[in-house]
Amino acid sequence: MNPTNGGWAILLSLIVALIFAVMHLPEWWPQWLGWLRPNWVLLTVFFWVLAVPQRFGLVAAWLLGIVCDVLYGEPLGLNGALFAVFTYITWSIYERLRMFGALQQAILLFFMVLLAEGVRMLGLLLLIERGAQFGFVVIALASALMWPLVRVLLEHLETACRVR
Amino acid sequence: MKALFLRQSGAGYLLVSLLVASLSLMYIELSRPWLNGFRASVASALSPVYFLANLPSESSDWVDSTISTRGALQARVSVLERRVLELSQASQQYLAVREENGRLRALLGSRERLGRDVLVAEIVGVLPGVDRHQVMIDKGTWDGLRDGLAVIDEHGMVGQVVETASSSARVLLVSDVSHAMPVQVVRNNLRGIVTGSGQLDLLQLDYIPDSADIREGDVLVSSGLAGRFPSGYPVGVVSAVTKGNGEAFAQVQARPSAQLDRSRHVLVLFANETDAPTEAPAPTPANSTATVANPGAGL
Repeated sequence: MNPTNGGWAILLSLIVALIFAVMHLPEWWPQWLGWLRPNWVLLTVFFWVLAVPQRFGLVAAWLLGIVCDVLYGEPLGLNGALFAVFTYITWSIYERLRMFGALQQAILLFFMVLLAEGVRMLGLLLLIERGAQFGFVVIALASALMWPLVRVLLEHLETACRVR
Repeated sequence: MKALFLRQSGAGYLLVSLLVASLSLMYIELSRPWLNGFRASVASALSPVYFLANLPSESSDWVDSTISTRGALQARVSVLERRVLELSQASQQYLAVREENGRLRALLGSRERLGRDVLVAEIVGVLPGVDRHQVMIDKGTWDGLRDGLAVIDEHGMVGQVVETASSSARVLLVSDVSHAMPVQVVRNNLRGIVTGSGQLDLLQLDYIPDSADIREGDVLVSSGLAGRFPSGYPVGVVSAVTKGNGEAFAQVQARPSAQLDRSRHVLVLFANETDAPTEAPAPTPANSTATVANPGAGL
C-alpha cells in the first residue's frame, strides 16, 4: 500500500524546492522580487527533519548540499557542509521545536538561515572572491516569512502521502 | 533509507567527517582539475531542473507572443521590416569595408582576420541571487563549447563560458563582480580593464590614469590582449568619469552594450585557432602576398 512510507514525497518536495531555488522570474515581474528569494531548500529540509527526523539524515543533507553547489555554481562542498550543520542543529533540538508555534519556529529559522547564509557568503568571499553583500539578511527574513506557508503546504503533503 | 539514519551516538562523528569531506572537496577543486568531470555530469543530470525553473518566464513569453492583437503584430512586422532594410543596407557597406580592410591588412603584412564561427544559444536559466550574474545556456560540450569562449548578443559582449556540461553551459556575465576583461577606447585606443560592478547596468573601468583622455560617451571595445576575448566587440559606453579626487586612477563607469537583463538568445564565438568543424584555413603570414593578389583581382 505504502511501500516507501512516502519517501518519494520527500524527494518530490526537495526537487520542487531546487526548482524554486533557480526559478527564473518573468521579465515583467518587479525586479526587487529577486531579492526576496527565500532559501527554499533549507526550509524544506527544516520541515522534514522536524516531521520525520529518522528519515532525513546527515548524509542525505550533505548530498543535497552538493547538488545545490553544482546547481548554484559554487565551490563543491560549501553548501554540503552548511546543510549538514543545519540538519545537525535542527535534529538536536527537534523535540523542542515541534512544541513551538509557527511564529516561534519562524523566528528561530531567521537566525539559523542568517547563520547559514552568512557563512555561505563568507565562504564565497574567501574561496572565489565574490563580493560581500548584505543580501543574506534579506534571504533569512524572506525564509522566515515564507515558513508558515511552507509548513502548511508540506503538512498537507505529509498527510496525503502518509510519510512516516 | 536505513543507511541514512541518524544515531545519537555517531552523529557528531558523522558531522565532523562530512565537514572534513567538504573541506577536502573545496581544497581539491581550488587546486586540481579532478572534480570538473564530476561537476559537469551532475550539472547534466540537473538540467531538467533548470528547464522546469525556466518554464514560468518561458510560458509568460509564449502567452505574450500568442495573445497579441492584430494591430500589435502588424506594428511589430513593420518595425522588423524596417530593421531588416537598415541591416541589409549596413551589411552591403560592411562587405565593401571588409574587402577594403582585408586589402589594407594584407598590404601591412599582418594576418587577415577571419570571420568567426558562431553558435546561437538560448538562455535557459538565470542563477539565483540578484548579486550573482550568471546564466545557463542550452548548448554544451556536445555542440563544441568549452570553457573560456566569449558570448555576445546583438549589441555587444555578454560574458564568457565558465563551465560546460554535455548540453548546457554556465556563462559569467561581464557585470559580475568577479569578472574582468581587457578593453580599449575606440576613439584613442586607450587600454583599460573593465570589471563588473554587481549591477546589471554598470561596469567599472579600472586603472585609467587620472590624466588620461577619456570622457563620457567613449565606446569601449574588447582589446583581445589577454587572448581570451576576441578583439573589436563592443563592451560598453562610458557613462561617468570622476577625476581629480586625489587618487592615482580616475573612476570611470560604463554602461554595458549588451542587454544583459533581457537578451534571450546569445551567440557563442568560437576562437579561430580551434579545431572547430567548419573552419576555413587561416592564412599564414607567408602566403599573405597571395591574399594581396586576390582582392586586387576582384577590382
